[in-house]
Amino acid sequence: MSFCLEIYLQQSDDYEILISKSGFKEAKSVIETHSPKVLYVKPGAKVLGARIIGIPPIPIGIDESKSRITLPYTKPCHGTSVVDLPVEKEEIDKVKAISVNPLKK
Amino acid sequence: MKKVLILLGCPESPSQTPLALYTSHKLTKMGYDVTVASTPSAAKLLEVSDTEEFYVQQKVDLEKCLEDLEEKDYDILVGFVHKDAAVSYFVTFYHILNARSFAIVFEKDADILEKFLSDLKENTDATLISARAYHNPTPLRVKIDRAFKELED
Repeated sequence: MSFCLEIYLQQSDDYEILISKSGFKEAKSVIETHSPKVLYVKPGAKVLGARIIGIPPIPIGIDESKSRITLPYTKPCHGTSVVDLPVEKEEIDKVKAISVNPLKK
Repeated sequence: MKKVLILLGCPESPSQTPLALYTSHKLTKMGYDVTVASTPSAAKLLEVSDTEEFYVQQKVDLEKCLEDLEEKDYDILVGFVHKDAAVSYFVTFYHILNARSFAIVFEKDADILEKFLSDLKENTDATLISARAYHNPTPLRVKIDRAFKELED
């Protein structure tokens, strides 16, 4: 069964919210500052089973040594949050496969 | 029949629901097949305002719509943009659909409105319909009528 971000956030407590109820640009800056590597994806790209919402290019932070991903999470009434969570290595590989540019860092 | 997706944002702004009903009805009368995508709370406002579904016949949950959306599912995108998150949603739907698009952009604060418009100009080719508005839908209604004239043929 594939990973589903919505269900994960409802049922787990090992994720970290780095910023919440922010604008997209602030969230983007947090990801770019926080993560050792940053990949960029197109709006609507599916990461961890969810469509990524935002203004292109959308950063996805990668920490391969800790096997963690940092991504923006937007809701219409609550703005954009940044979520950092542990993932299987294959999920990092999936992000690499859909990224639109080489690693920034 | 060409298909239109009307994308609603957070229903916090009082202008959104009446303008959504107006826009849906206008486009339906023009011969378009209209679907409104919204949050559950925005959908409730539509349901109470339009109990007989006279103005909006087809509604879909925003998240479900986004999850299933594919390029060319709709011929025209009309989005209501009055929050930073709504800019992100509109740009995302725009890039997935790759369709003729109209953004109805409104905010009380002139600087915030300008920021929304700037982000939309930089990231889409959408026609921008904008006004400093919150309670009063009339300035936007007039501009919607003007912008949609090109869809009448």
